[in-house]
Amino acid sequence: MTPDAKILSALRAHPAGVPGAQLAEVLGISRAAIWSRIEELRRLDYDIQAGPHSGYRLVRSPDVLHADDLVARLGRTRVVGRDIQVFEQTASTNDVVEKLARDGVREGAVVFAESQSKGRGRLGRRWISPARKGLWFSVLLRPQLRPPEATQLTIVSATALRRAIQAVTGLKPDIKWPNDILIGGKKVAGILTELSAEVDRIRHILLGIGVDVNLDAAELPAELRQTATSLKQEGGQMVCRAELAVAILRALDEDYARLNAGRFPAVADEWEAHCVTIGKNVTVLMGDRTVRGRAESLDDDGSLLVRTEHGRLERIIGGDVTLEK
Amino acid sequence: MDLKDIKAIIDLMKKNSITEFELERQDSKIKLKRGLSGGASAVQYDEPGVPVIQTIAAVPAGPAAPVATGEIEIKSPMIGTFYRAPSPEAGNYAEVGTEVGADTVVCIIEAMKVMNEIKSEVKGVITQVLVENGKPVEFGQPLFKVRPN
Repeated sequence: MTPDAKILSALRAHPAGVPGAQLAEVLGISRAAIWSRIEELRRLDYDIQAGPHSGYRLVRSPDVLHADDLVARLGRTRVVGRDIQVFEQTASTNDVVEKLARDGVREGAVVFAESQSKGRGRLGRRWISPARKGLWFSVLLRPQLRPPEATQLTIVSATALRRAIQAVTGLKPDIKWPNDILIGGKKVAGILTELSAEVDRIRHILLGIGVDVNLDAAELPAELRQTATSLKQEGGQMVCRAELAVAILRALDEDYARLNAGRFPAVADEWEAHCVTIGKNVTVLMGDRTVRGRAESLDDDGSLLVRTEHGRLERIIGGDVTLEK
Repeated sequence: MDLKDIKAIIDLMKKNSITEFELERQDSKIKLKRGLSGGASAVQYDEPGVPVIQTIAAVPAGPAAPVATGEIEIKSPMIGTFYRAPSPEAGNYAEVGTEVGADTVVCIIEAMKVMNEIKSEVKGVITQVLVENGKPVEFGQPLFKVRPN
């Protein structure tokens, strides 16, 4: 941890305040150096008050993503979030992490951007990512799986994301097959998973995650307002992005650990329990082919089994799924 | 046995609701299966419900298996949907005649929103594109033919 991360970590651990002398001792630097670090944090809009008896006290944190602060809030994890970077702006966080992956960076690295100029979804679709309104980030993983098993990460990431959003907001998110997060039938978060693999082994997986946190309806393009929403719109109040970010990383770390410990079926059960697609009439667009029918169940590998109008059972592994009202 | 014979057998299978057919001769052996789409058995098929043709002496799964002509097949490492371009508006990664290196991306296979960029793994020229954009592919299904150089 950097000195700033250590200071923020100590301040959060002691809401009533920490004496400067104690901070200096913990960090192994002088009280004057502590004071100058505190001044630096104040310039970043951290409201830190100092009293003769209570010492330094963190009153309010700014609504920015600050790597040191995220590290301080997150604490120790097994894999996810071992390294965190925050960019003010980037084209796409997946592109940044892809480069890290090629440079051999270890798994668990996370890159956030306050805004993305070319945020994208699958097949080059644009992902609206306005500054400081959401969480736009990517996670680097190097699972010991064969390429066809990479779909397990779709299930792991959707399950973790759903659980974290519920824990922080109290809202009741659903999963639309395979990994969209919906609240009240509208999309609030999406995941783009990009795989780099050899014949029999995965080089790396990038999880690109976008969560619409504090966007107002007016900030969404008109054509998306019927199908997309934000946590603020659904819950009626601003959500602390840093707190949500940390909750998501922690949940991802837990579910990735479950996968690595051979407990993937438990994750898949949790995913299935919240998959709102089952039992619905769906339209699936695959290239120029359309399948209509009722989503009956999930196969063992997570693919969707759809009973078509002609009574045939279709196994859906890709494409665009639309839920009929 | 040629394609016409196989078609005739398929028609008979359909008419009589036969799901499996196997025939062994001195020089060849074929096995036909009709079934659900996306099952694990398919080597090659067009549409669900259309019979799946499976040759018994199929080349083992795995990319870049040599074929008789000295050309190399790029095979799908997983079940999924085949995309020739990064987005509907973008140009295709590879066309017939495209020069590819080992690291050249030739297509994307998508399975459950996992986008897998498939690399050629071999240096050469694309001579055939074997699958249409947006179609489902099976594990081990040939996607492209490459003439190595």
